[in-house]
Amino acid sequence: MPATAATVSRPIDPREFDAVDFQRDPFPLYRRLRDDHPVFHDRFHNRWILSRYQDIEAAFQDSQSFDRAVYDPNGPYEFGRRHIFGPNILEYGNSPQHRWMRNVVAGQFVGERLDAFLPIIDRIAREVIATFERDCEVELVSQFSSQFPIRVISNMLGLPREDEAMFVGWYQALIAGLGFGGEHLARGLVARNEMWDYIDPLIEQRRRSPGDDLLSRITIAELDGKRLETKEIKGFVALLLAAGGDTTDKAIANMWYHMIYTRPDVFPQVLADPELWGNVFTEMMRYDAVVHAQFRQTTREIPLHGEVIPRGAGVILYLGAGNRDERVFRDPDVFDIHRDDLHMGRENRSGKYKDGKPGHLGFGMGPHFCMGYAMARQEASIACGHLAHAMKNARPKFAAHEGITSPSIDSGGFRSPRELWIEFDVR
Amino acid sequence: MADSVRWLRIDFDKCIKAGECYYNHPELFRRTDSGYPALRIRRAATPAQFREAQEAMEVCPSRAISYEDDSTD
Repeated sequence: MPATAATVSRPIDPREFDAVDFQRDPFPLYRRLRDDHPVFHDRFHNRWILSRYQDIEAAFQDSQSFDRAVYDPNGPYEFGRRHIFGPNILEYGNSPQHRWMRNVVAGQFVGERLDAFLPIIDRIAREVIATFERDCEVELVSQFSSQFPIRVISNMLGLPREDEAMFVGWYQALIAGLGFGGEHLARGLVARNEMWDYIDPLIEQRRRSPGDDLLSRITIAELDGKRLETKEIKGFVALLLAAGGDTTDKAIANMWYHMIYTRPDVFPQVLADPELWGNVFTEMMRYDAVVHAQFRQTTREIPLHGEVIPRGAGVILYLGAGNRDERVFRDPDVFDIHRDDLHMGRENRSGKYKDGKPGHLGFGMGPHFCMGYAMARQEASIACGHLAHAMKNARPKFAAHEGITSPSIDSGGFRSPRELWIEFDVR
Repeated sequence: MADSVRWLRIDFDKCIKAGECYYNHPELFRRTDSGYPALRIRRAATPAQFREAQEAMEVCPSRAISYEDDSTD
């Protein structure tokens, strides 16, 4: 060990997790967790924290021991207090109902059905870009990334195209409410109620005459002869917006942030070879993924690194920390789209790859792996390719940027730049 | 359909260990330590299994699963 390893480690004060510094730059604290407290008992927030790659991977795979924490309005969890969307698939843990609900929609986002939908994704990306491509500048978050994935989901659900802009507006208000609270939350709830009122008759219409869109599929799916209730369908739609829209939205903004601010030296390579957007996506998901935390509840005692996590304990898996684990990735704090110690192609739910390399943890792993992983990668790559083509000589409008941040890491992360102004030459 | 004999198969050259089959359809597939799937059954005995086999084919990103008549077996 180098001489510096003799430094006595500083104990972690749990209030550090609530500090603004941690939301802006969680990585120094992640390193202290990995190095000195691989199993950290946060008595202040009544939870345990895992931060090393191997431990997080093992917890994701062993979902019998680490159950996906079930919603409890009186629970100690932040997400319990933010019950905004109504009942949804994420709250059913390891139940058969969860797997059934997941399978109702999961097939839409992978394989043949996804391939069939790619031309529509492509068209929507070009439509949104056309709204600003002659302006010489764009605020990418509000003008593109928070619009495009929602328009895609709206299209998949089969909502009327002329209502997309309204849907985007509700979405933006809802996400701001979730992220920032206070008056934003009040506005978010108004938006949610308007969205519910709007979607009620559409659900009724699908019950009477279902089509082949996603809303019909969710409405008429049956488990043991029983269909979902209206409030469950609405919860499902909200989940698709939040999990399928918000994450892809922020992924696209993060990819552009890293290209124009973190690695402008590498950006020309990506412009010359658009296939490399896939690498940008992968390395973004490792380096500073949109989602940094996942929550689990233990179903048995877990002995690990000399500690014992009790049964029924709340556990945070800081996948944002595992992704920077120097035990797995060389120079983990360097954003390198050519790194040879990371699986660069599309992700696998199993976490296993034929090239033998480890994958990033940004989508989770195992039974609760992100349902939209394949679609997110495709959407982000298609969008970035079209953006790069439309915006010639894309460059930051402002030399300084506050960086990627998160409204609250404890809500799971959702890290992204708040704004991203880009200047470009009209093609 | 009910009368024809259809066998569930995995093409391990095409398989990329995505895991969609065994996570989505654990009645039919099992995860092995290497990440490859293993078959729990070779042919569907019930309509539910038949439907699961169809869905497994659809969600496989590498098209490695087939469920077809096979006279050589």
